[in-house]
Amino acid sequence: MFVSNQEVNKIYEIKLYPMRLISIFCLSFFLISQLFFIGASAQLNSQPNTIIKITFLHTINNQPLVLDSTAYTNCWNETFTLSRLSYYVSNICLQTTDKKVIKEKNSYHLINDEDSASRSFSFNIPPSQYNSLSFLIGVDSLKNVSGAQTGALDPLNGMFWTWNSGYIMFKMEGNSPQSSIVNNKIEYHIGGFSGVNNSLRNIQLNLGDNGVSLIKGSITEIIIRADLDKIWNAQHDLKITTTAVCTTMGALAAGIADNYSKAFEIIKIIQE
Amino acid sequence: MKIKITILLLLIITIATAFIYEQPPHKLTYLKLIIPKGWPKPSSDIFASNPLTEEGFQLGRKLFYDGRLSKDGNFPCASCHQQFAAFTSYAHDFSHGFNNTLTTRNAPGLFNLAWMKEMHWDGGINHLEVQPLSPLTSDNEMAETIPDILKKLNEDTTYVRLFKAAFKDGIINSQHLLKALAQFTGSIQSYNSKYDKVKRGQDTFTISEKLGYQVFLANCNSCHKEPLFTDNSFRNNGLIIDERLQDKGRMAITGNPADLFKFKVPSLRNCTVTLPYMHDGRMYSISKVIEHYRTGIDTTKTTLDPLLKKRLTISKQEKADLYSFLLTLKDDELLHNPRYQEPGYVRKLSIDNH
Repeated sequence: MFVSNQEVNKIYEIKLYPMRLISIFCLSFFLISQLFFIGASAQLNSQPNTIIKITFLHTINNQPLVLDSTAYTNCWNETFTLSRLSYYVSNICLQTTDKKVIKEKNSYHLINDEDSASRSFSFNIPPSQYNSLSFLIGVDSLKNVSGAQTGALDPLNGMFWTWNSGYIMFKMEGNSPQSSIVNNKIEYHIGGFSGVNNSLRNIQLNLGDNGVSLIKGSITEIIIRADLDKIWNAQHDLKITTTAVCTTMGALAAGIADNYSKAFEIIKIIQE
Repeated sequence: MKIKITILLLLIITIATAFIYEQPPHKLTYLKLIIPKGWPKPSSDIFASNPLTEEGFQLGRKLFYDGRLSKDGNFPCASCHQQFAAFTSYAHDFSHGFNNTLTTRNAPGLFNLAWMKEMHWDGGINHLEVQPLSPLTSDNEMAETIPDILKKLNEDTTYVRLFKAAFKDGIINSQHLLKALAQFTGSIQSYNSKYDKVKRGQDTFTISEKLGYQVFLANCNSCHKEPLFTDNSFRNNGLIIDERLQDKGRMAITGNPADLFKFKVPSLRNCTVTLPYMHDGRMYSISKVIEHYRTGIDTTKTTLDPLLKKRLTISKQEKADLYSFLLTLKDDELLHNPRYQEPGYVRKLSIDNH
């Protein structure tokens, strides 16, 4: 059966390929000629997009995070370096001053500190007056049970548990002399999406009392800082000496999620 | 004037060619999962976001039998899931993995998966599509990485063509790899055993089978519920804990102490060819399994299933009849179905030259 299919493939490559080239050539000629003849009217139809851009900045000890080199100290006087920080931001919503909620379509972003492009993304939004921004840290429960995904949710991004299906919502790895684990590792892989194991956290951020006015065709950048110092004690105490590793869902993971959920704040809104 | 006509002609040709040759037509042959008469509907449609097609099925089938999905090429999915054993590892308590390793649980059978809400003995897998990620990447199974698998597939022109045939954009990515595998494994069905034929009025039980069916209904059907012969629940069936494995079962997934030592109730369909039995394959005969329920249950564990607090009391004759009935659950149309065989595999008749 496969032999015959290969033959079909050969025929396909020989015969259709030049046809496609011709069609592409003709199509581009057609488009160019379109531009010449009706170029002027095209301009009238263009709609300027209103764009919102969201950028995440990571800080430790009030300094921008530098992976693998800088040694940091936490509130428990434990020293550590970080080698990886990645987490999901999903279900981004903006609310207008008249309580209308605008959701980003297919809103799943994997923020990875070492890839600066991943820390910033933008999407179109209807022009209006907005006063709050909300998003989930993690991947909503529905996408955790809906089978194989792609893009930001592709399991090859290393943010998926294969033995207990579900996304790792937040991943922070590094080293510390205070860690009793092999190679002095610290490893926090936070996951779990239902019941008592739920590690999803909803972040609500205020865009100011009067809100931000997004006029048609404008670009607005919201810069959000994630203050990683919060992970050690914002709500529960987390010490490297006693807890250098968390790689399963449960109360500990949920507690760490409580802590980092307090880390996010808007530090700047830039409008052009 | 001449220029205008030329432009007009070119435009017409352009439009015509654009319509005719813009895209090679992408034809898919859609298939439907059979829901046998009298069966419950699957709790959710596993093909809801993965339309079942002949092209996807055939791609999944090839992938299932391809050793290149493992690190050293020796461990296709089919190495642990053999068709003649209802896609279990025949006569192996644990299956063999990469670099002389063994798994830590008995390979479960693959059939009627569309009715299974959670996969694995501990139910850790919540969707059929993501199940392969576990054996593909486990160090003691196929030990490969997803990027390496995709690289190997992309370098193979047959796969390039098969992915193009099965999926509209034809991209070889993890999503399509997993969806194709799910189309194959999710299509493996068992509903043509003698038992099924008797139920459909196409066959009749012998006296022993009939008596055995009565024993089954009175003693086994509460967990191994007809017609799937499992209720897909997780239960502690009173096995003595293996000190080396220390397998906590379902609790490892839920973290709930009430789930300690609970494992998925396996289907009894084809059970006469799926030896050995239990999550760790410790019992090599059905006789031993029945004996466990008669005399072997460890009643000291708090999570022991309430239904097993009273031990099974059946006579030797009833045991023999029960075995006769269990034999009627063997489905030869599953075990020898050419659609589930390795692609290109031809069954040769042995010819006696003497």
